[in-house]
Amino acid sequence: MLRFIIRRMVRAFVTLILFQSLLFALIHALPYDFTAFTLQGPSWRAFMQRQLGLDLPLWTQYLRWLSRFLRFDLGVSFQNWPAPVSAILFNRISRTLLLFLSAAILAYLLGIWLGKVIAWRRGGWLEFGVTLGGVAAYTSFAPWLGFVMINIFGWYLRWLPYQRLVNPNVWFNAPVMIDTLLTQMFITSVIGFVTFLLVRHISQRIKNYRGRWITQAFGLVIIGMGIGIWWSRSGLSYLAIDILAHLTLPLATVVLLSFGETMMIMRTAMLETKHDDYVLTARAKGLPDAVIRDRHVARNAILPVITRLALNLPFILVGSLVIERVFMWQATGEVIFSAIEYQDIPVLLGILSIVGILALAAHILLDVLYTYLDPRVRYLGMD
Amino acid sequence: MTQQGSSVSTREKIRTYLQHQWAHRRWLYSHWELFLQQPLGRLGLIMIFIFGLMALSHPILMETVWNRTQFDPSIGFDITIMPHPTTPTWRHLLGTDNFGRDVLSRLLASTQTSFLVGIVAAVIAVTISTLIGGAAGYFGGVVDAILMGISDVFVLLPAPIVLLIFGLLLRLEWPMVAIAYGVVTGLGGQAIVVKSHTLKLKVKPFIEAAQAAGGSEGHVIRKHILPGLLSLTIVHAVFTVVGAVLTESLLSYFGRTQYYLSWGTMIWIGQQTFRWFTLKGQWHVILPPALAIMLFCSAFYLVGRALDEVLNPRLRVR
Repeated sequence: MLRFIIRRMVRAFVTLILFQSLLFALIHALPYDFTAFTLQGPSWRAFMQRQLGLDLPLWTQYLRWLSRFLRFDLGVSFQNWPAPVSAILFNRISRTLLLFLSAAILAYLLGIWLGKVIAWRRGGWLEFGVTLGGVAAYTSFAPWLGFVMINIFGWYLRWLPYQRLVNPNVWFNAPVMIDTLLTQMFITSVIGFVTFLLVRHISQRIKNYRGRWITQAFGLVIIGMGIGIWWSRSGLSYLAIDILAHLTLPLATVVLLSFGETMMIMRTAMLETKHDDYVLTARAKGLPDAVIRDRHVARNAILPVITRLALNLPFILVGSLVIERVFMWQATGEVIFSAIEYQDIPVLLGILSIVGILALAAHILLDVLYTYLDPRVRYLGMD
Repeated sequence: MTQQGSSVSTREKIRTYLQHQWAHRRWLYSHWELFLQQPLGRLGLIMIFIFGLMALSHPILMETVWNRTQFDPSIGFDITIMPHPTTPTWRHLLGTDNFGRDVLSRLLASTQTSFLVGIVAAVIAVTISTLIGGAAGYFGGVVDAILMGISDVFVLLPAPIVLLIFGLLLRLEWPMVAIAYGVVTGLGGQAIVVKSHTLKLKVKPFIEAAQAAGGSEGHVIRKHILPGLLSLTIVHAVFTVVGAVLTESLLSYFGRTQYYLSWGTMIWIGQQTFRWFTLKGQWHVILPPALAIMLFCSAFYLVGRALDEVLNPRLRVR
């Protein structure tokens, strides 16, 4: 296993170098000189070119680009001059993660559940309705869907706030920064999620089906209460509630936009595994229908869904463009947009690099996860 | 092998040829039947047909019914109406936008762009993925290593951001959007899927039988590998249309492609003078293109899903 992981890492490293070369080629293939639009005189332009290393031969620039990338130096933003790109992106990424990671998990759970149900009742009206709704939500134009949600829930019904990350009136004289609080909330939710997984893992040992169910529900309530008490004791709960209220509408929009794909993949995978021999065996044993569906078919059908989730997760930085624009959620998408408006190429390339690194990490993780989820999978170099 | 051509009569040849043709026909016909059995597939096909009619009707309407000075999708202006974003009337069935252009005419003209973008992207993506993935899977070895190395790099590229960077520096036209999207998807994820499918296909007994019977490499590829990949190719093509049209709409919604007609551009221009939350002035400018994007992509998605159901043997109703 270790040998396989090392081999995979080496391959990923080569891929990463190639990816950086591709980005370099992409940016140098464009007929563009960063210093062409300076309003200063030619001597200043020559100075800038020397500063950016644009007067060097191309291969020297290429080697410099690679060596800087290997030191995690993504360059310096043009727009906010001395600030390094990695710092700019790192400051904003917790906001994007809070919105899109939670939305991805929710959409994934919803999609799996709906896919399970519609695969089991193939050909009924329920399937047509759910499929049509899911496909329509998945293919709807993202800004338009956000706009509809804002109009209905934010403007017409006035249930939820629909703009920005926080309400400035609530945050007047607040004792913490937004990003600090967001990080705390993010850590809290991760801890809660992991604890719930632990409870679920322990409850699997209980033989009684109902007892297991009750244990899980009880654990969930305890975790929720613990988090609530912790936050109310810290005295920052009113700020957290403000952020959560602002989070709801964008979250709902992203979930609506993305659950359809998971649902369709889950349905296809369920239908493919439905006729396997072990399902027939389970039926012959006289197991209840729900047990066959949830424990025998769904567990084997979940591999393609997890694949898709892992492959799509890094691209949430791209999806953030639209939704963050519509809801004025000031995070990575805003950085991308201002970079586009001010032609801030280093920031854009930095985003592409980060997406590439995250995607590669996801691919390696997926390969390792496969051996755990499907014990039949064997790779070269594994014993 | 001895020369047998003279011993087989012409009638025999014709009969074999016809049987071969009929086998193809029967294959097509039975799959068509299976496709039509699915209500959602039929619905998608009808919607695509309606969109095709919309795209075709625009030049005809421009020649016959619509006056070119008033109804031209990009430079038309109706001088007889005074305050210009007007709500739908009998004269302008979907109203006019704030530059005095007929919304319906723009909608129909943009349908052509969407079809072109989708089809060009799909053809490019599918061609590339079949060539690269098929070659990597069939030949293996060094070819596999090199081609899959390229695929591993391209799968990391998000097409919208690459196009946004290109749009900063170049004038984006629709063929460029379609080609860039097609290349990125074809070289990336699709090639990897096609490769794994080819690997599964390569070890099937009938390939071995064809090779044992003396079939050349070209024969095996043409007669067995490529038809085996056909079903995957069709499904990929249909889903590429969805992605390409959504990406193109996104780019034009952000105002990066203002040089051709597109649904995204219509929404973008409508928003420039839009009273954002009240929907009072201009709902008729925003609503039709947004719905058109949704219905167009849904139609292709539903057809792709139904095709997947027909062409994937493990999904057939048993």
